[in-house]
Amino acid sequence: MTKPSIPLGLVFSRSGSYAMMGREMEKSALMAVEEVNQSEEFDFTFTPHLRDPGGIVAAYHTACDDLIREHGVEHIVGCYTSASRKQVIPIVERTERLLWHPARYEGFESSDNVIYVGAAPNHTVVPLVRHMLENIAGDVFCAGSNYVWTWETNRVLREIVTNAGGRILAERLLELGETAVDHIVREIIERKPPAVFNTLVGQSSYAFMRALHQASRRAGLSTPVLSCSLCEPELKLIGSAAAVGCITSSAYFESIEAPENRAFVARWKSRHGTGSHVSVDGQSTYVCVMLLARAIRRAGSADVTAVRRAAANHRYDSPQGPIWVDPDNNHCFLTPRLARSMPGCQFKICWEADAPVRPDPYLSNLDLASIGGKLDPRGDAVAKRPTHLRVVK
Amino acid sequence: MTRSSPFSVRGRHALLIVKDERDLAIVRRQLGRLGMSVSETAPEQLSPPNVPADVIVLDADSIPIKSDPASALKCDAPVIALIGTETPSRLKWLLDLQPASFLVKPLRSAGLYTALVVAFDCAQRRSEEAAHIERLEMRIRSRRVVLAAVLQLMRSHALSEADAFTLLRQTAMRHRTTIEQLSADMVTLGGMPNRSSRMA
Repeated sequence: MTKPSIPLGLVFSRSGSYAMMGREMEKSALMAVEEVNQSEEFDFTFTPHLRDPGGIVAAYHTACDDLIREHGVEHIVGCYTSASRKQVIPIVERTERLLWHPARYEGFESSDNVIYVGAAPNHTVVPLVRHMLENIAGDVFCAGSNYVWTWETNRVLREIVTNAGGRILAERLLELGETAVDHIVREIIERKPPAVFNTLVGQSSYAFMRALHQASRRAGLSTPVLSCSLCEPELKLIGSAAAVGCITSSAYFESIEAPENRAFVARWKSRHGTGSHVSVDGQSTYVCVMLLARAIRRAGSADVTAVRRAAANHRYDSPQGPIWVDPDNNHCFLTPRLARSMPGCQFKICWEADAPVRPDPYLSNLDLASIGGKLDPRGDAVAKRPTHLRVVK
Repeated sequence: MTRSSPFSVRGRHALLIVKDERDLAIVRRQLGRLGMSVSETAPEQLSPPNVPADVIVLDADSIPIKSDPASALKCDAPVIALIGTETPSRLKWLLDLQPASFLVKPLRSAGLYTALVVAFDCAQRRSEEAAHIERLEMRIRSRRVVLAAVLQLMRSHALSEADAFTLLRQTAMRHRTTIEQLSADMVTLGGMPNRSSRMA
């Protein structure tokens, strides 16, 4: 007996400026589709419809429009950047479809027609900044790519750091894809900040990590670098020595010691080679397809309203650990982790939350007073001026 | 001097004057996500809110144009207008309420946070501007007193008008008070007050 088939849209940029991530995510989605299709636990199969918007924002709209109108797709797994997601949201809202979004993002969004499987800002930047304030330093130098993820991540960083009495020593931004990083590296070597917060992405980040490593070695310095986005395949691209020692915040590392993850990594490596590595976004894409499949099974249909209801609070023991959708905001409960990058393109996990953490996309429960309490309060010498006077020069 | 950030909306209270159940559900849900509390009033029975609201979300279409904006709306809380009908007659009624921001119906979850931030920022600026105008008006009112103090100094110290004003300004700074306050004291006392008699 053949199982009924459910069309599934997969929208990933296999070409264009972030093609590497797009390909990783598509590979993971197809691996999950194959596992669902071969499993006896599911009485349906997915028919994947692949689209490659080539990293062009407007092409995401066209791709999803076509999937929905021409192929009757109810569920789409895809998008990587926020710009692409914001192109797709109006279509899925208008046509009452669901976008399953794998990537972490900067928050401040909560569409009823998106299931946000990637980490929310309270899962990524907040634990990282807490770790920095409590274990490394209060003052930090920021280097980032000039776009929304950096702007918002740095805003959160600044708010937490300044509230704890620390300082943002500098905020240096590079255009996306820019690899001329020497002026930033030179400034870091000259100023010797106690920590560097890296929100550069793609080639900019790889060039920066390599140049900083070289310059630091020449100068005999060792500056801790922190990141919310680095992943295993990128460590490989940066190159061994320069990629070591970066403190990274993520919901997933390939080195998670749990049977679900060990089995997942083994399946991944048998498909893609022992030299390949799973990334957080790849794993999260796999989780998207699995959460969807389980919700369809629970709902008994692919109907969007029924699936959304079935996905709510339905726990899945995924490679990254237990995960479930919070129906309050359609983001996921997941376990934040911090790790240090090691030789061999691996991360050594140094901290993880005791239990999955409720997503807080608007950071409305961020309690600044509870973070960085160990910092010495800066003795503020400025006396309070009477407010009814002004300085006349 | 501390300005509460318009970006942190947690703990603030919203009064919802919205009729449509679907719009209400979206607003309630989104405000809940943001950690805000809400109370609701039916558009027909507008009365001053029991809990002081930090913001009013008003469905502009739900109140007849001919009615006066009710007392509940004439408070200091900024108004976010939900707009369906864009006719000039409706918009004119709305302008009298000086809405701090607006959203066009049908509502989506996106947009409400922006409307709140704009409304809170707008309310903050309005109250700062009102305080600023108040200070300016007070200074205008005290022009006569300052003039009297300058004349007094010109006579008693045989100074030009410019030098008398400079002396007045420097003395006020030394005493950590305003020119207007010092002038009022001088007019009352008939001369420069003793420095030690002044409170900072």
